[in-house]
Amino acid sequence: MKIAFTATGTSWDATIDPRFGRTDYLVFYDEDKDELTSVDNREIVNVTHGAGPKTAQLIYDHAPQILITGNGPGGNAAAILNRTQLRIYLGAGGMTLRQAYTAYKENKLPQGG
Amino acid sequence: MKEIVIISGKGGTGKTSVTAALACVSRSRIMADCDVDAADLHLILQPRILSREDFYGGVKAVIDPAACVNCGQCGVICRFGAISHPNGNYEVDPLDCEGCGYCQQICPAGAISLPQQKVGQCYISDTRLDCRLVHAKLDIGADNSGKLVAKVKRDARQTAEDGQLDWVLVDGSPGIGCPVISSLSGADFVILVTEPSLSGLHDLERVWSLTRNFGIPGGCVINKADLNPGVSALIGGFLARENIALIDHIPYDEDFTRAMTQGISLVEYDPQKWQPRFARIWSHITKELT
Repeated sequence: MKIAFTATGTSWDATIDPRFGRTDYLVFYDEDKDELTSVDNREIVNVTHGAGPKTAQLIYDHAPQILITGNGPGGNAAAILNRTQLRIYLGAGGMTLRQAYTAYKENKLPQGG
Repeated sequence: MKEIVIISGKGGTGKTSVTAALACVSRSRIMADCDVDAADLHLILQPRILSREDFYGGVKAVIDPAACVNCGQCGVICRFGAISHPNGNYEVDPLDCEGCGYCQQICPAGAISLPQQKVGQCYISDTRLDCRLVHAKLDIGADNSGKLVAKVKRDARQTAEDGQLDWVLVDGSPGIGCPVISSLSGADFVILVTEPSLSGLHDLERVWSLTRNFGIPGGCVINKADLNPGVSALIGGFLARENIALIDHIPYDEDFTRAMTQGISLVEYDPQKWQPRFARIWSHITKELT
């Protein structure tokens, strides 16, 4: 399973960025390979409008099965992501990635989308 | 540190009056004015600017007359009628250009560039209350954006972190568009200020559908509540169905206008009358968050 996180940094100790479209980083955890990779999304501060759909495109390109985030995507981004098989878990804002992953594994995060 | 966003859906419900009053009854907070199209919190807080920064918004097309081959294709495809050739040269009217970049895509001579536009300035200021204000001023014709709101909020959070403050109070903008989405993003609580008119209720429903989608808890202040008891009751029913806390219903009061005309908050205008009321509202909100 490949899991995406919206994050303010790139390690397991980074905190979840509660924002979807304007998240600083996307971090991907590949459970099969036990491998953590990340994409720097900070260029998004230069996007005037439509940050959500741009980040949704980035998610689509990396094709994770799970997204763990804080507030969840806005309407336009959600319309894109709903076309994919992605399952979205919310309410992880402020947790570290490790805490959020554990909370997801223990079914403690509400599912959105 | 917790972030509280004050929005209304409909404009003119008393959002900024409520925000300014909350600024007076709270402590350990920073204010952020994200209603950049019609910023007015500064009229009450009277900021002394500590730092300023140019802000760059979207792009606009510019045609290099030396490279232009006068084929006119850009003028034909522009959906906004922004390109004309008044003096024999093709020119872009910056007020009409939306910066979509279609003209640059099709220009056979590569004569069109899309430079970023300076659209205003962002400020961090001291105010006459013991709190800082992060705000922005747009140039004429420039519009608010998710980008600008994100910038104002980022600066506010940073200032709050540096000063170890507990609260960021964000005055949001009306509507449900990009700036509002950006102001909700990352917020811990939303205060919905509404009024008992049909458009007040309608816009409350719309903005709540956005807020609910983000999973952010909210509470509602019905302002001018006695002006239309029928619609007030409809709003009450909506709040109950959606599990939104009714924080207060404030009767119509011309103090709102009088205080605003004098450039002060309600709490300063008549402390005896308004201080306890807004202190109660503030304690209601902080209890929801602890």
